[in-house]
Amino acid sequence: MSLPTTLLLSLILFSAVLVSVLVALPGITASRGGKVLAFLVLFVLPLLCMAIGVSSEVERSKSTSFCLSCHVMEPYGRSLKVDDPSYLAAAHFQNHRVPADQACYTCHANYAMFGGVRAKMHGLRHVYVQYLGKLPQQIHLYEPYNNRECLHCHSGARSFEEGAMHNADPDLLPAVKANKMSCLSSGCHDVVHNISNLNNAKFWKGAN
Amino acid sequence: MAATSALEKRLRIAGIFLIVGLVIEATCLLWARPIAFVVMVVVGGLFCAIGVVVFLYSIVSARQD
Repeated sequence: MSLPTTLLLSLILFSAVLVSVLVALPGITASRGGKVLAFLVLFVLPLLCMAIGVSSEVERSKSTSFCLSCHVMEPYGRSLKVDDPSYLAAAHFQNHRVPADQACYTCHANYAMFGGVRAKMHGLRHVYVQYLGKLPQQIHLYEPYNNRECLHCHSGARSFEEGAMHNADPDLLPAVKANKMSCLSSGCHDVVHNISNLNNAKFWKGAN
Repeated sequence: MAATSALEKRLRIAGIFLIVGLVIEATCLLWARPIAFVVMVVVGGLFCAIGVVVFLYSIVSARQD
């Protein structure tokens, strides 16, 4: 268990104990000190616990293990460990081009305004489908993958800006940056998760 | 005396709602599943919100009494 979670649990436990004292001895609120205590224990502390708790859960929902905890995501998790550098997701994950503990969120969050909020709203829909809906046979993105998400990290990077293939055609980089030519579906980086080929794939032994 | 006992009764009710809400929140923090987030916000948040509202109502109604 992480330190922030332990501290939050301690705060919740502390609050619950103080609330229990007030429930058992409500008469102590007759004094001025008791009134202040009641305000802190029955108003400030619960709201504080809730706010920190929601913030902690939102942060945890960005983790790779959280995304992969749904059964339907299991092959996508396996694809991160394919021992083949042409697999885009695996190459990013294994070489820490994205934080390994937030791999899904880093590539699949929308980097436009309120992108994080949209990702969370999509996540709530995924939870609904997981528990109450009908799981699709094949998962699809809500919309075609936007180059903006790639350029969030790669734009300005020397390997991207001065790469031989990227500069073979002078019109290529402007088209990519304007999202007129997709990084993924244009045929350049089109092997991403490719979960249909996982049965024949070799897996990186270093992945834990 | 009656006002005091009504206030104490409402404080007890508020406290019980808050304890349930806090226990749900703690359980969800230990339960690393996507549904835990929803349970924590919807169920735990609801209990905590009811507890806080009952507490605030008890203060206001005590002054009126």
